[in-house]
Order: sequence, then C-alpha cells, then structure tokens
Amino acid sequence: MNAYNPIQSKAPAREWSRYRFPRDLFRFTALLVCLMGLMFAVDFLGIDLARLLTLFGRVGEVLSERYFPPDVDYVMQGDYLASVVETVQMAYLGALIGMLIAAPLAWFASWNVTLSRRVLYPLARLFIMASRSVHEMIWTILFVTVLGFGMLPGVCALVMFCIGFAGKLFAEEIEVIDMGPVEAMRSAGANPLQTFCYAVWPQIQTAWTGIAIYTWDVAFRAATVVGFFGAGGMGWYLKRNVQQLETERVAAILLSIVVLVVISELISAWARHRLNRKRDANRIAIEAEAA
Amino acid sequence: MTHLVSLQAELERSRRRRQWVQLLMLALVLVTVLGSIQVIIIEDTDWDRVGTFGQIMESVGRFMALDWSLIPHLGIPMLETFLMACLGTLLGLFFSLPVAWFGALNVTPSKRILYPFGRFLMTLSRSIHEMVWALIFVAAVGLGALPGILAIAMRSVGFISKITAEAIENIDPKPVEAIRAVGGNNFQVMYYGILPQIKTVVLGTIIFEWDINIRRSAIMGLVGAGGLGLTFFRQMAMYNYGGVTVVILAILSLILLGEILSHYTRKAIV
Repeated sequence: MNAYNPIQSKAPAREWSRYRFPRDLFRFTALLVCLMGLMFAVDFLGIDLARLLTLFGRVGEVLSERYFPPDVDYVMQGDYLASVVETVQMAYLGALIGMLIAAPLAWFASWNVTLSRRVLYPLARLFIMASRSVHEMIWTILFVTVLGFGMLPGVCALVMFCIGFAGKLFAEEIEVIDMGPVEAMRSAGANPLQTFCYAVWPQIQTAWTGIAIYTWDVAFRAATVVGFFGAGGMGWYLKRNVQQLETERVAAILLSIVVLVVISELISAWARHRLNRKRDANRIAIEAEAA
Repeated sequence: MTHLVSLQAELERSRRRRQWVQLLMLALVLVTVLGSIQVIIIEDTDWDRVGTFGQIMESVGRFMALDWSLIPHLGIPMLETFLMACLGTLLGLFFSLPVAWFGALNVTPSKRILYPFGRFLMTLSRSIHEMVWALIFVAAVGLGALPGILAIAMRSVGFISKITAEAIENIDPKPVEAIRAVGGNNFQVMYYGILPQIKTVVLGTIIFEWDINIRRSAIMGLVGAGGLGLTFFRQMAMYNYGGVTVVILAILSLILLGEILSHYTRKAIV
C-alpha cells in the first residue's frame, strides 16, 4: 500500500516489522474462525476424514467392479432410444413455453423499461426469483404430485425452471441497453408495446437468441433427470434400474446421458459461437455506418 | 452499370433466399412443436388422472394447509444443507485448482495432452447434472453428507476452473517474467506472480458458486445425502403436503440468506 517514495515521503519513518499489530490480529482471527468453522462443519456432518484419503481408490474400485462393463445393448434398444427422443421433445417444449412466458416477465422485471415500477416490477421480479430458487427437481416432484406421472409434469417443471433461468438473463440483457432509442420512441408518442418492439427488441435480439440456445441446452440437461421423480424420459429408466440394482445398466444409462449432454453442449456452443460472430459482424457494420 | 445491376440482382436474390430460409425455419419450428405437443400432451398424458381443473386446484390446496408444527425440526437440516454447500464449494475449489492450471493455455504443463484434458474435465463436470453426480457418489461411498458434498464439489469444478483458467489467461505476464528472471521456481511464480492477479475474480466466482450450491445442496437429500432434501422427501412420503410447503419455504429462506450474504461479501471484496 505505502510504497517507499523518496520524493514525497514526509510521513515519519516506520519501524519495519513482519507483523502489523491490528491488521494481522484481525487476519489471523478470521483465519482461525474459518478453520474452526471448517472443523465444526466436518464434525457436525459426521464426515470421517480418514475415509477421504482412501476415497478415490474406493470409488474406482466400486465403479470398476460393479459398474464396469456398461450394458451398452440395453441403451441401444428401441424403447430406450424412444425415451431419448421423448426427452428431447420434453426439453424443447418446456424451454419454448418457458421462454415465451419469460419474455414478457423479463420486460416487466427490468427497471429501465418496465410498465409500472410500483406493481409489475416487484411482482415479476418475485416470480422469476421464486421459480429460480426452487430447484427443478422439487418442481418436478410437486408437479408429479399434482398432475400424476407422465411427461406433462416434466414439461411443467421445465417451464418453471426456464422462466427462472431465462427470465433473469433476459432481464439483465434489457437493463443494459442504450436508452436513447427508447426515449426517442417515447417522445414521439409511442405506446409501451411499440417502444418495446422498435427500440428495445432490435438491441436485445441477438443476445436473447444466444440465451435461448443456452436455455435449451440447460433444459435438456435437466430433462435427462426429471424422469427420476416420475416425469418420463430417460430419467425414468435411470430410476428403475437404480432401484433394481442393475448397476451395469445404470452405468450405460449414465454414460448415454453424459454423451447426449456433451453433444447438446457442443451444438449449443457452436451455435452461440456462430451467433456471436454474426453479432460482431453486425456491430462492425453499425459502427461502419456511423463513421 | 451492368456491374451495379448484377449486384442489385444478387442482393435481391439473397434477400429472397433469406426469406425462404426464415419461412422454412418457422415451418420446422411449428411442425416440431406440434409433434411434441401431440406426443407429450395428447398421447402420453393420462387426463383421467389429472382430472378437472377443480380437482387440480383441490390437490394444490392441500399444499396450502401449512403444517407449522414442523418448524422446530427444520433447524438442524437447514444447518446441514448450509454446511454441505460450504464444504462442497471449498472442495470444489480444491479440485478446480489443478484443472484450471491444466486448462489455462499460458501456464499449462503440456499443451498437447494436459490442456485438452483440462478442458474436457471442465465440460464433463458441468455437463453432468448434480443428481447424476449424487447418484454416482451415493453408490460409491454410501449414504450421508459425504456423497452430497462430493457431488456438489464435482459439479462446481467446471464453473470455477473455467473462470479461473480464463482469468489466468488474461493476466499481465510481466510479474511472471520478473519472478522467473530473478530465479523463482514454478511454485513461486504461481504464488507471487499469478495468484495476486486472479484473486478477486476467483473469490467472486466462489461466492457466486456458493450461492448456487445452497440451491443444489437442498436437493441432495432426495437421493440419500442428508439435509433439507431428506426432510422434504420424508414429508412427501408421509403425504404431509402442508409440511412439504413449509420445507420449501425453509429452502427459500436459506437461499435468500445466501443471496444476501453473497451480495454483501462480493461488495466487500470488489
């Protein structure tokens, strides 16, 4: 902090010491408190630290003994592959409906263009936050309880998840726009919908498309496991085999989930990359026009 | 002149082609949406089970009869969930340091082998849902808080190490060179050259991830890893829907607490 500076060093010379009295006391106390908290946590949760040391050996052993030859034939059957298609459809529909609901909510939940700061803004914020805070698995269980087994509760859970996920990102994107066009539209007497369509939408279009792709990707990841609590798709097969202790089939299903999710992630990364390039090109075009 | 005319024709053609592509995309979206609706809502759903609107409202209403008697039993699971998130984040940080080291292009020990490996680990960790990680660890180390912590840690590795690796790639190389020039070894380069530059970014990321991890640790109990998820699961198994709502409220309040805490700590750091 106080670098030695020969030109303007008017402060009295301080005796150098490795420890500085109040600051280091606070630091060591904080460290001590953190370590005590750690000890308390380990003790409270009943974690046997000795087991941690041999943990990876044991994980490897269990995986190699019980899970090792994954039953690939099982995941290649028609039934399972049909469930994969169902999962994709579930994620697709859930993400689509979720984003259709999230878009107006995000509009209401962004401070700069919201319709009413008193009523709609806090309501929309609260709704987005609540659907984001409850984990998608809990949504699934709740919807399964209310609507019964099947893919419909899965879609509903994904809708809630996407409202929370996409709504927050959408709103953040609206809040950083350039307010110039919005003010211009307003002063020309445009109504809020016109302002949104012609002043806000062109500015957020590409960003929202990127978020939409990302949301689909995340929704697919969630859709692979919502079936675990009775909402159809691949998760249902996972649940059944976990309960029947068919560990080799479980291994195959987990592997198939990982492979599919990585594929979807690669596709979404590629699409977002292309979009960003286009976005940059757009930005360059706009800048060239302005110059 | 002919050049201009041909350019105009070219533009016209490309515009028409783009319109066609857009129309085709729209048709594709419509067809797939209708197909999904057909499969999911018409064929797969047992509408007799769902019942009428009134019946749905009735089962929702059962969740609304809150069971406040559960509150004294919520303190310990809440603390468990909270501590699980803390330990999971800490362990995730511990695991993500080597991954970030491998996956940052300017410090990686080998660009051919370890760099792609580190990147692969990052994708893998983020791709697998926390439920799947929890299932793997419950199978491997048994019930209790430990599989939950491990699952959270594994899930956090991807995000923390990705941001850390990016921060390492963006550092100012001069301090590193200076330390190398005066004869510092690799560890000294990392500790004195890299760490001070990435400290704030990493701390901010950890706090962000910790906030998310509270949400995740609240569901770990669903597959046998303790905390509020287990209470939730028990209430569900007892068909005590009022209690379920109370547990959800407890989760929400815990998340709210985490959000407030993370907001202020991030402010204090930056």
